[in-house]
Amino acid sequence: MTDKISAENLTFYYGSTAAIKNVSLSVRSNTVLALIGPSGCGKSTFLRCINRMNDIIPNTRVEGNLTIDGESVYHPKYNVTGLRRRVGMVFQKSNPFPKSIFENIAYGLRINGIRDKYEIESIVEKSLKSTALWDEVKNRLEKSALGLSGGQQQRLCIARTIAVQPEVILMDEPASALDPISTQKIEELIQDLKRNYTIIIVTHNMQQAARVSDETAFFYMGDLIEINPTEKIFTRPDREMTENYITGKFG
Amino acid sequence: MTTHLEQELEHIKSRIFEMADLAIEAIARSIRALQNSDEGLAEAVLRDDTLLDNLEVEIDNECVRVLVTRQPAAVHLRFVLSMLKINTDLERIGDLASNIAREAVNLHGKPTLKPLVDLPRMAEICIAMLRDVFTSFTERDADRAREVIARDRDIDTLNMQVYRELFTYMAENAQTISQALGLIMVSKALERIGDHVTNIAERAVYYIEGVDIRHTDE
Repeated sequence: MTDKISAENLTFYYGSTAAIKNVSLSVRSNTVLALIGPSGCGKSTFLRCINRMNDIIPNTRVEGNLTIDGESVYHPKYNVTGLRRRVGMVFQKSNPFPKSIFENIAYGLRINGIRDKYEIESIVEKSLKSTALWDEVKNRLEKSALGLSGGQQQRLCIARTIAVQPEVILMDEPASALDPISTQKIEELIQDLKRNYTIIIVTHNMQQAARVSDETAFFYMGDLIEINPTEKIFTRPDREMTENYITGKFG
Repeated sequence: MTTHLEQELEHIKSRIFEMADLAIEAIARSIRALQNSDEGLAEAVLRDDTLLDNLEVEIDNECVRVLVTRQPAAVHLRFVLSMLKINTDLERIGDLASNIAREAVNLHGKPTLKPLVDLPRMAEICIAMLRDVFTSFTERDADRAREVIARDRDIDTLNMQVYRELFTYMAENAQTISQALGLIMVSKALERIGDHVTNIAERAVYYIEGVDIRHTDE
């Protein structure tokens, strides 16, 4: 398997404060990487560097290099709109558009230039099926998405993300506001989606990281302390600091 | 819908069943090697024991991985815990079959003391118990597992009978001591195999019903 995403000495500053420092790591295609660490450790900042979401925050700057498929995404000529299409994002709080379930997915397709009605219908159905939502909503596609439960809304947001066929999906605590059953559905979904996508997930829940990911990266105060296969991190981590964190000694 | 956890448990189960097949074969072949004084077959049993050893390590690792990454609960947790223990019992059964095979090699070429009847009978019971205990797993049938435990007494009885008989031989004729001691070792190995199958049956009851019947009157 090849590296999909690669960070080399990536440092990100808010003003003069470095939120992440000299982070180097790579993510292989079709795997799930979990980012764990206490609040403020830089895991979300790192996630947002990948699709340049941090660009919109004033007074910030990036040093080092970040590549997707070998292309440097911080190169001045890099197409940021194209990047955000290739790299989808799912947030902690589900944020469906105040539109129908169907339109929530169709909207992104139209923006991407798909006009054919049948093609749109087919992609909507496929996306809802791959997020295991189709059976629950197929009879009310024209109803408002805001009438869905929190877990269904989050799966709709994932369906919306994959409808435009990204290559990478970033997830920032996608299940932290959900009940255990909805959380389990999202976690099962993540495992299914990795067949077609490369996924990076930020989670506060270490058990969740252990359940869904192939590799886990532990961040602390802006430093990448350790990245290893998830099973190794949770059975015999290389660094004592990682062991202390996952056994609840701090954080 | 089958979850990822259930798929992984199914995989562990199939590996354990593979191990059970190897253990059954090891018992059957080691006894046949002894009966037929077949040195080649005995050596094959010794060689193939590494297959069981490798599976033991592999299944242990797989169970640890599932515990860490899937965090099973309730029946799923009992399943993994049972598999971890059964794994060890099956590996030990393989070692005991190797002990029998080693005796077959030692006794090769020596005059036979008597036709072997009770030892093959004990091996047959062990094999039948093993088959039934794994059926109890598949069918989640705790009563069948309990029946397996009860049959261990038949093996113990045969073991004592073999001891008595062989002691008589040794008392009457000192020339028979080395062969008789070899056969006593075989009998002891089969008796221990019965104990390991009993352990497996107790783990089956634990998996199915969630009750621990070890060291109880059951």
